[in-house]
This record gives sequence, C-alpha cells and structure tokens, in this order.
Amino acid sequence: MSDLDVSAVQPVVVDSPLARSRRTTELTLVVMAALITGAAYTITALGTNAEIPPGIIVFVAILLGLLLCAHVVVRLVARGADGTLLPLAALLHGIGFVMITRLDDKLAGLQATWSLVAIGAFVATLLIVQRATDLARYSWLFFFGGAFLLLLPLAPGLGVNINGARIWVSLGPINFQPGEFAKIALAIFFASYLADRRELIAASTWRVGPLHLPEPRYIAPIIMAWGFAVVVMVFQKDLGSSLLFFTLFVVMMWVATERLSYLLIGFVLFALAAYFSWTQFGHVQTRVDIWLDPWADPLNKGYQIIQSLYGLADGGLTGTGLGRGNPGQVPEAQNDFIFSSIGEEWGLIGATGVLMAFILIVGAGLRTALRTDRTFEKLLAVGLTTIVGIQGFIIIGGVIKVVPLTGITLPFVSYGGSSLVANYILLALLIRLSDASARRLGELPDDPTPSERWKAWRLSRSMRRAERREAA
Amino acid sequence: MNRRIRQLAAGIIACYVVLFVALNYWQVGRKPELDARFDNTRQVFREFNRPRGPIVTADGVVAAVSFPTAPGETYDYRREYPTGDLLADVTGYFTFAFGSTQVERLYGDVLTGTTTAQQVRGLGDLLGGNVETTGTVELAVRKDAQQMAKFLLAGRTGSVTVIEPKTGAIRAMYSNPTYDPNTFVNADFDVAEGIITDLQNAEGSPLLAQAYQERYMPGSTFKVITTGIALESGLVNLDTAFPDEREWVPPQTTDPIQNYNGSLCGGDLATVFARSCNIPFAKIATLLGPEAMVRGTEAWGIGEELPIDLPRPAASTFGNTDNLDQELPLLAIRGFGQSEVQMVPLHMAMVAGTVANGGRMMKPYAVQATYDQAGRVLDRTSPEVWKTPISPATAEIERQLMIGVAERGTASCCIALEGGIPVAAKTGTAQLGVASNPGLSHAWIIAFAPADNPQYAVSVVLTNAQSTADVAVTGGRLAGPIAKGMLDFLLTGAGSQPLTPTAPGGGG
Repeated sequence: MSDLDVSAVQPVVVDSPLARSRRTTELTLVVMAALITGAAYTITALGTNAEIPPGIIVFVAILLGLLLCAHVVVRLVARGADGTLLPLAALLHGIGFVMITRLDDKLAGLQATWSLVAIGAFVATLLIVQRATDLARYSWLFFFGGAFLLLLPLAPGLGVNINGARIWVSLGPINFQPGEFAKIALAIFFASYLADRRELIAASTWRVGPLHLPEPRYIAPIIMAWGFAVVVMVFQKDLGSSLLFFTLFVVMMWVATERLSYLLIGFVLFALAAYFSWTQFGHVQTRVDIWLDPWADPLNKGYQIIQSLYGLADGGLTGTGLGRGNPGQVPEAQNDFIFSSIGEEWGLIGATGVLMAFILIVGAGLRTALRTDRTFEKLLAVGLTTIVGIQGFIIIGGVIKVVPLTGITLPFVSYGGSSLVANYILLALLIRLSDASARRLGELPDDPTPSERWKAWRLSRSMRRAERREAA
Repeated sequence: MNRRIRQLAAGIIACYVVLFVALNYWQVGRKPELDARFDNTRQVFREFNRPRGPIVTADGVVAAVSFPTAPGETYDYRREYPTGDLLADVTGYFTFAFGSTQVERLYGDVLTGTTTAQQVRGLGDLLGGNVETTGTVELAVRKDAQQMAKFLLAGRTGSVTVIEPKTGAIRAMYSNPTYDPNTFVNADFDVAEGIITDLQNAEGSPLLAQAYQERYMPGSTFKVITTGIALESGLVNLDTAFPDEREWVPPQTTDPIQNYNGSLCGGDLATVFARSCNIPFAKIATLLGPEAMVRGTEAWGIGEELPIDLPRPAASTFGNTDNLDQELPLLAIRGFGQSEVQMVPLHMAMVAGTVANGGRMMKPYAVQATYDQAGRVLDRTSPEVWKTPISPATAEIERQLMIGVAERGTASCCIALEGGIPVAAKTGTAQLGVASNPGLSHAWIIAFAPADNPQYAVSVVLTNAQSTADVAVTGGRLAGPIAKGMLDFLLTGAGSQPLTPTAPGGGG
C-alpha cells in the first residue's frame, strides 16, 4: 500500500502540445461558427425586413457565450478530443437557428431555450460520463431504458398522435420525442453487447439448412432489435425512425462480426417488414406513391414535396439570398423540411455546405472509431456516427426525393427540443470517445478524472488515517 | 473491424454524394423546367411580397399604390387603386393568383425596382442606408381628363380616347363598361375568383380596355382614310366633282348602294366629305381597286397591332382581302367604312392625329416616364413616328375637309368649341345591319383642335347605340358633344356642357 503513487492524486495538469493545438483549433472554429451564424442572422434580417436586427450584438454575445462555455468544458474534461466536432455541430445548429428565426419568430424563442438546455445537456454528459467504458457497465440498463423510451408513446394517456405518427409523449406542459433518446441508449447497449459476444455471434455454429447462424441465444437481441424497428414502423407509424434503428443495428452487427451476411440478412429482413407494411398500411403506400410521383396529387399529398422541389429550383446555384426566398410555402419547413429552406435561400452552394458538415462529422466520428483499440468504444463510435450520418441522409434524401419521405429531424438543424438535446448528448459522447482514444494512444497523459481523483483522495485519506491509527 | 469501419465511411460518403448529385439535379438541371411549371407560385409570390412603387397620372394623382399589411397577413403588401375605375384601363390590376395586366404587368420590373439600372443604383443607395429600390411609373394619361370622359359618357357603352397628335401621348383613354380593381386585388382567392369570372363573362368585356383592345365598324370616319389614299394616288383633288345621286350600282352586282337615309347627295370633294355622302367614296374605292386600297390601308397601319406601350393591343382590319377583285361591291362598301372594316378606337384618334400632324402618325404611349426610388428619371418616352401614310400636302387638304365637317357638315350641330377655337372633325354612324334591329349603330366622331395648331386629337365611339322613333343615332349628334366636352375641357378647362343634343340634323 505504501507504494501507491500519491502524486497522481494531486490535480496536476500536464501540458500536452497536441491537446493544446486541438483546443486552439476548436476555439478558432467555434468563434468562426458563431460569427458565420451572426452574419447569417444579420443578412437574413436585412433580406426580410431591410433592417439590421436591433439585438444582433446581444444575440452574438449569447451565442458565443454558450459555445465558449461548451468549449471550456471540453478543454477541462476532454482536452484530447477531436477539435472539429463541436464547431461543426455549432455551425449546423446556427444555420438551423437562423432559418427557424426566419420562418417563425415564435418558434425561434423556444428553440433558443432548447439550445440552452442542449448545451447544458452537452456539458452535463461530459461531466457525468468521465470514462467511456463506464457506459458499458450499465448496458442492460440502457437496453431496458431504450426499449422503455421507444415504447413509451404507445402508452395510453401519455402518447400523442402528431401528424399521424405516435412518437410524442406529453407530460404536463412538456412534449418530447423519447425515440430521440432511445436511439442513443440502444446504440450504447448494442456496442456493449456486441463487444462482449462478437466472436460468439460471428462463429455461427448453428446450422439451419444451408445457413450458418449464431446460436439463438446470441442472436435473440438482434431479433428483438428487428422487433423494435417493426413496432416503431407499425404502431408508431414512424418510418424514418424505424429505418434509422434498423440501419443502426445492422451496421453495428456488420462492423462487429465483420460478416457481410449480417448486412444482407438485416436488409432482407427489413425489406420484408417494409414490404409487409407497404401492403398493409395506407400511410406507407401513400409515402411511396408520393415518392414515385408527387405530381399525381399535387395539391394534397404531393404538395409538400413539390413545394420543396420548387423551392430548391427557385434557389438554384446561389440561392434566392438569405431572407429573400419564400421557404414558408413548404409546410413544416422548420422541421423535416428545413434542408429545402436552406437549399432555397442559400442555394446549391449553401446546401452543399450542410452536406459537407455532415460528412465531416461522420469522418471525425469514424476516425475516432478507427483510432481506439477498445471494441466497445469502436462500436459505440460507429453507432453514434451512423445515427447522425444516416439520419441526415434519410431526411435530406426525403425532401429532395431520393428516398421516400419519412418524418425525422435533421440533426442539429431542425426545430425541436428533443432532437437538439439528444444530438448534443450524442455529440458529447463522441467527444468523450475521441478524448479517450487520444489518451490511449499516448497523445496526452491519461490523467485521472475528477471522480477518480476524488476516490483516490478518499482512499489516500483513509490510508493515512489507518497509518495514523496504526502508529497510534 | 477497421476495414469494416473504412467501408462504412465510404458507404456513408457515397450516400451523401448521391444527395449532392440529386441536389444538382433539382437545383441546376431541372431548375428551368420547375420554375416554369404552371403551379409553381414562387416567382409570383416573391413579386407579390416585394415593395411595389406607385403609378401616378400626368397630373400627379396616385392611381395605384402599395401599403404594408399588418404583421401576420398572408401577403406583405396590399395594392390599392385610389382612382377606382377611372384608370383601370391603363393601370390594369396586380393580383397574386390571377396575374396582372396593363402597366402593372408591363412595368412590373420598374415598379418593384428589379431593372438592372435600379439594381445598380440601389447598390449605391444601400451603402447610404436606403435599401428600398421600388420605382414609379408616370402615365401620360391625366386623371382629370379620365374623370371628364367618364362624366361625358354618362354610363353609355363606348370609349373616349385623346392623344397629342405631335407626340402620341395618350391624355385620356376611358371606356365603359370598366371595373374597379379594388374590388378583387386584395380579396381572398375564392372571392377574387368569383369577381374576376363574373367580369370575364360580363357583356362588353369590362376587363378589356376597349379603347385599344377592341375594334368596331368605323362607319364614315373611315372616309378620312379612303380620301387620304385617293388624294395620295392623285385620283381625286379638291376640284373633283361628284354628281348628285340617290343610288349607284357598283360593278358585279345589281344591288345599288345608297347614301345615308337614301338622301340625294353630290358636289365637290369638300361638299361630299362634309355631308358624308356614301356613293362618292364607294366610287373612289372601286376606282382605286382592291390592290391600291389594301396597300393604302396598310400604310395607315391597318392590319398591324397598335404600337402602344401596353400589353395585347388589338389590330384594326380592312376585312378579308382574298379575291377582293371578285367582290368589288364589298370593296365599294368598305370605302365608306361599312361591312368588314373594323377600327380600334385609339387607332381612329391616331388617324385624326395624322391629319393634324402633317401626315405623320405617332406611336401612342400611355407611360411618359419612369423614376427610380430616389425620384431620378430612369426613362422618358420620346415621341416616335409610326407611319407616314400621307404627305403634308394631303394632310393639309384633309385638314380643310375636316374643318368643313365641323363648320358646315355633319358635326356642325355639336362640335363648336368654347371661345370659337377652330376645330376639325369627321363623324361616323356605323349601321350594324342587324336585320331584327336596323336602328342599332356605333356612333363615332374623330376630331382635333385647335384646327390651326392642333394640340389634341380625340376619338369617341358609342357602341351599339339604339335609334328611337324620335331620335336617330348619328355620330355627330351622339358622339359630337362628348368630343366637344373633352376638347373644351382640355383646351380651356371649361366644364362640360349639358349632354342633350343641341341641334337637329347631322348625318352619317
């Protein structure tokens, strides 16, 4: 006991050039994101009202303050993390906020409140989850928590039908979409589950005819995941989330087992479920019909997507100019269709910028997955990144008629509290994973976390007391 | 696992590349097609939500103006027409769902400040803190003249057009029936649709500016053109004498042509012109022959759309000219403005203007200037000659002939101006030849004054006027007082005279 390194207990921050340069990068980019947002806010106001918004200084100050707060927390507790994740999210968030303000002043106030909550959730997540591996310890808690959240909207009295989808829960004055949080919880569970059993699942010792399958007890959670996706599709009528959940599980299975057959089996199963619901449910058929030919019913079912395409075409290469378009002609422009609003006013150039931001987030997330050597962290990074990347693809693809339109939010950009908070939590977890990988690679000293210091301090104190007692 | 992660990265990037390609497809590739689709309201919506400058009349009255709406309204501005129906024929209307017409349509880019000149100037003004880039359109038309025209028409269907012979500036152009754009431009879609549909189906096409978008049989006013062609060709001169005749049988037929009311009519050119005998002009047209008559009418601009600065002008017509050499009786009748000849009222004002202006027919214009947001001139309409159908010498002869009409001819009853200002005129009574209603006619007059230094040329037509047992419709008696009222008002500012016919007599 006496050889315990007491110096590690002291809060000594060892300098690391690499960590410092990453934080400098992050700080610079965050300030740039804030300035871009402030400039866009000003130009949009000029475009709509022909006047510089009176509160612009306050707006930029609050925005900068929030982002700097997030940055400082990263600097304190995750200083080795990738320096681009937070600025990219901030940029998307800022662009989205400018568009929401432009579309509906009332929503802008709510979104500002939610932004505050989201940054708070980001900070809280970074402070609470000090070691990514801690998450793996509670994997079954996350499984049941995720399942509970996912099924919560189906509970009578709690769930609310909005726009035909039963994905909302109403608790007193607060409406939220538990599915947004469920996807993170389930990603954590799957990362942990697969990290523990990936060899067993990949071994496929169970033969069914010509197929080699894993033992049923190992594959059971996969089947359950499929069941979740089906439940979401059938009972909540939420095609987008269903597709997202399923892609998430299949991709994680595929990466964990390195077997292509899981990718194929997964998509065959999903295709079956999708085909079944297409034959059985009117709302699915409608979505597909609209996707194939929106002009078949241009004033009713196809109206939204047609208006979205008209808006995009009106924007063209350089856009109508900030505040100079009519994105309000697309119903629900602030939610699912925010991307077409951006395409209309910011043009192909601005919309491509948004696509680039998503690709860069995906790149940063998967780079983290590549750099870490722990299976759980690898898989969690893959899962979280896949959520952002695929969710962005599904909804952007929906509003530009690449895939059938399914109502989900565009991460960081769309209006919506649950979505914003959940995505900032997701971002915090990615940053935590990124920081962990940097420490593991020795890019910065792996100094103990505050809670570890606290435990070590208590341990050393009890040791000193014991020594004193012995001495006495 | 790292290989799979790299493959996953490639897969997601591939997804986003697909999105990028699709974005190009919609925003660049199919942009022209989507922009042009009929149900795409983006362009018009943007137009509608732009601040839009006013239209003002030559005498400084606002005829169309936009006001910002209260926050939360569907549109950012509402368009109002303070002059009601007075200038609807000229300003037209500007609606979201039903398009726009007349000046509102043709000068939309000036009013919203989107012409290149305004954009460039607006860029400079933006630096100075002024970001409004709307423009103003100033009409050549006068609001007081419109008001007088409406008063003189007194609810009868027809139109009154006044131009300046030397410039082509349209000072008045009012027709009845017309409409008040305020009734529907700011109304809800369903209400507006109902009103517009009713107006479209209403008798007399109130939505059209009849003065330049419709054409009517001109009757004897057409003799100014026939005489002009004959004088230019040398077929007749002031000394040409025409025998007194009641009827004359043209070639290729046995049906005789008669003068108005079957009267006995003849004399020298000045006399037959002043009394408006039909037979001399039937003979002139026949003698000139189809080819010379068609070529001659073309020289007067007949068959061409009027070169006015407003949308969709009508074209006057000499009728079907195929095989006209086999139809000499028709040619003869057209010589005095009956049968298939149809003239646009504005065109008839231009015909009078041509005589007044030494043979030069000016391009008519309803807009005399446009201004940018700071009141600087963008464009000022400069007068242009459209046609030169007759020489100054011919014009002088015709001027004398028309003075004769006013002094001792068919217009002498009703055209004498206040203060003895000399005036020149020609009347017309176009009998529509409706078998069940032979009394149905268009009553015309064209005139200009002062005859020795013409300032204004006017054309008045009362359409589908009904003769009664007591009073026969004639151009002089019905349309004459209106022309007199307009000229009096414009030349001396005098109020209108009582609208009752002052003297009997006159004729087609």
